[in-house]
Amino acid sequence: MESHSENGASGEVRKLSTMRKNTPPKLFLRFFRWYCHPDMQDYIEGDLMEVYAVRLRMKGKRKADLRFMLDVLVLFRPGIIRSLTTSERINPTIMFRSNFRIALRNLWKNKASTIINVFGLTAGITSCLLIALFIQQEMSFDVFQSKKKRIARVVMEYSFEGGKESNKGTFTSTKVAPVFSRTFPEVEKGIRMYNGSAILRQGDNLVNERSFMYADSSFFNTFDHEMIEGKAATALDGPFKIVLTESTAKRYFGNERALGKIIPTNDEKYSYEVTGVMRDYPQNSQIQFDFLASFSSMGENQEDTYFNANYTTYLLLKDENSIYTLQEKLHPFMEKEMKGSGASIHYYLEPFETIHLYSPYSAFVPNTSLRYLYILGGVAILIIVIVCFTYINLSTAKSIERAREVGIRKVSGAVKSQLFWQFIGESFVLCSLSVIVSFAAASLFLPSFNVLITKNLQMKDLFTPLFMLLTFGATLLVSLIAGGYPALVLSGLQPARVLKGVFKNTSSAKWLQQSLIVFQFAISVFLIIATIVIQSQLHFIRNAKLGYDRQHVLRIPIGWGMGYDKVSTIKRELKTNAQVIDISRGGNSPVNISSGYSMRTPDMPKDEVISVNANPVDEDYIKVNGLQLIAGTDFSEQDMKDVATEVWEDKKFHYILNESAAKRLGWTPEQAIGQNLHLNGPGIIVGVIKDFNFQSMRNTINPLVLFAESQGSSVLVKVKGEDMAATISFMESKWKELVPNRPFEYRFLDDDYNRMYQSEVQLGKTMNLFSSIAITLACLGLFGLSSYMVQQRMKEISIRKVLGASLWSLLRILSGNFIRLVGFAIIIASPLAYVFMKQWLNDFVYRIDISWWIFAVAGAMTVSIAVITVGIHGVRAAINNPVKSLKSE
Amino acid sequence: MKNYQLGEFEEIVILTVGILNNAAYSVSIKDEIESRLSRSVSMGALHTALKRLEDKGYLKSYAGETTEDRAGRPKRYFEITAMGKKAMQYAKETRDGLWKAIPKTVLQVKFAN
Repeated sequence: MESHSENGASGEVRKLSTMRKNTPPKLFLRFFRWYCHPDMQDYIEGDLMEVYAVRLRMKGKRKADLRFMLDVLVLFRPGIIRSLTTSERINPTIMFRSNFRIALRNLWKNKASTIINVFGLTAGITSCLLIALFIQQEMSFDVFQSKKKRIARVVMEYSFEGGKESNKGTFTSTKVAPVFSRTFPEVEKGIRMYNGSAILRQGDNLVNERSFMYADSSFFNTFDHEMIEGKAATALDGPFKIVLTESTAKRYFGNERALGKIIPTNDEKYSYEVTGVMRDYPQNSQIQFDFLASFSSMGENQEDTYFNANYTTYLLLKDENSIYTLQEKLHPFMEKEMKGSGASIHYYLEPFETIHLYSPYSAFVPNTSLRYLYILGGVAILIIVIVCFTYINLSTAKSIERAREVGIRKVSGAVKSQLFWQFIGESFVLCSLSVIVSFAAASLFLPSFNVLITKNLQMKDLFTPLFMLLTFGATLLVSLIAGGYPALVLSGLQPARVLKGVFKNTSSAKWLQQSLIVFQFAISVFLIIATIVIQSQLHFIRNAKLGYDRQHVLRIPIGWGMGYDKVSTIKRELKTNAQVIDISRGGNSPVNISSGYSMRTPDMPKDEVISVNANPVDEDYIKVNGLQLIAGTDFSEQDMKDVATEVWEDKKFHYILNESAAKRLGWTPEQAIGQNLHLNGPGIIVGVIKDFNFQSMRNTINPLVLFAESQGSSVLVKVKGEDMAATISFMESKWKELVPNRPFEYRFLDDDYNRMYQSEVQLGKTMNLFSSIAITLACLGLFGLSSYMVQQRMKEISIRKVLGASLWSLLRILSGNFIRLVGFAIIIASPLAYVFMKQWLNDFVYRIDISWWIFAVAGAMTVSIAVITVGIHGVRAAINNPVKSLKSE
Repeated sequence: MKNYQLGEFEEIVILTVGILNNAAYSVSIKDEIESRLSRSVSMGALHTALKRLEDKGYLKSYAGETTEDRAGRPKRYFEITAMGKKAMQYAKETRDGLWKAIPKTVLQVKFAN
């Protein structure tokens, strides 16, 4: 009743105010109406107006206004202010129950829009849950480590005097940890680690264990762990001691006690003694291993040089702040250490906690860039926004049907706020329903999502109290956002007008609907463009002409030091199969050559060098990989024999440069032939090859030197690829015969190559998934909305039809407006997408251009999807018999 | 005996209601007090006093006519109830009793001043 009288009264005020311009300050009048007790409001307001009118005549507007304000303020006192509860307390549970029932009935009655909404909300919330799970997992990395604030990782940067290039990474030599802990009081312990592999004997089988970590015994002082058997303090003291994780112990020894057991290796001279068993390391740690062997087992300890940097060093500091004081001491210290050596080395400390999300250098598991998390989080929010907009649109469109209900409710005494909360309640019911379904859906899809992002997320992480609280909060928020506008519109309806039956959607509602559609489609178009760009960049990477041939090439790891003659035998034996075209032994495969060397020519000033990537290869490397010689000759068998000697001084080196290296040294390819070059030792340049991408497409092509060398860690086999299975089993049987102390393992170069772009591939896949979800949801909204629009215009369509409109013209009328909105969305989204994707592409030195066709395709796709969506209803309405809709009324 | 509580301002208001007889509504009460006692009366104070008097049962009110000045709001007229009259009477008697109790000399000094 109260709101009724309020509306009537304010209507009258408005009428009067048009008669007489002079009215008291609106703000204060509204303030008064807000606080005044409803019983007294009319009288007192009348008094205020009367006094105001008198003062206006006597003293003028300004004074009257001032006094009015003063009066309103002075009236703000107990006795006049309304009590906090508006109406008398009635037992509201019955009303709530009835509202709840009506909410359910309404959902049931409008099945189409309920299904659209529930489906949309479920899809949206499920996506968000999965993404949230992923983000939570990534954020939780190493949070469990109790000393995390005191651990730092050492990053090394080195350069040679005279050279501009410097190299930076987590590689350090074995010297760093002992020297630092002796020299600096800030360092409590240094931990050297190396993630290697070892070939172990399990029964009669040889197994190449890839998750084989070497670490100093200080590992146990620094990182949290839980020993099941053995003593942590002494477990890694001395060479060839090893600690197994629980699952590895089970794998090797079943249920037997592992402590004290011996694990032999492929080399009969060495075997490991199990000194402990510990719980499997948590998955959300940057340190992952199956075996933890004593660092001294490698026999690489040295304190002669800071080079030979192949190991990762962590430092356990005295307290949290010493990382800064220590960092300041490091540069001066290293300058002193490196004086006169012709090279400079700097060390940087990275706080342990920041490594996984912030560091450009991966730990023992790949890092996740924070940006990736932001992208995913952003996508999740965009999807939820689309879903909310759909809900808003459908319920405002439906408000015509609910208008009568609102009218009746108001006449029977419902207050605006009650109606508002009723409608919010309805959206809350819907949201809660969807959240419950979403949890089920999320657990259903989690395994496939895990495959997609190659992670191992656990559903149980979703049921932490914090997460549940967040979910509940988000549910409330979504129901407020989605239900808020419709609730405001519906609860604000004027009963008299509604019940007279002249109610129509207001122009502001229409305006809102249209802008929401534009938004939804802008988001979809944005995501589609982003997906197309990512996919085409991936396509470009996969099919780029890299300058080498990676089709049908297998890489088989062998021992670095396996003799030249032995390898020659293997090569000869494997070649007996007609499928095998060529075989080469070398260091890295051309997919990724990262090893750093330095080179100089005799003409250069002494002590000046150029850092360069280099790779040991044999005489078949260029053939196997399809590299292109542009000057000089390939390595000959004689070149190989020249280096195959055991005595270092007798070795004669031969080099092949790539174009960039020749250019860096100031030669044309032809000039380079026959020149002297110093890399491992003095040698002669015999050939120059065309540049090829020997690193990720993110990098430019650097100078590269291939040198003939009789050592190398892998064998590359080029095969015809006709009967792959038979060829591989042939090679395996030969291998077992010839190399009994190594398991036969192989990888395709293609796979190696794709693994380099894993994070991009992941991003591409996830974007594919979520942008299709987004566009589906947006279309679903459009579908629902257009069905209401068409229903409302049924009579108009029928009349047009009777008057002779064709199907086409009707369709054009019905969908024209929607198409315009979608077009508008495309115009908004395209430049945004362009800017964002340009930035993403900037990571790559070799990249595609964002050409106009991407926008054209995205636009055409969106428009056609929208046309089809709207058209379904349009066609149905247009072929409807006009009599049916015109006969009533 | 029942305790008739009547504050100073409340007494003035109820007296004024009496003076105005059948024309007592808030604005006329305010004007009357302001002209007779030459003190300004705030709307807030007056309405609080009227409400308290009504709550105590000394005044009763009824809705009256509207005027254009009042923007369509009705006036609210006040009337003294029987209990209100008793309360006024009681207030007057206690005052008179107190007056009589003052020694004459005190007053003489005061008047001489």
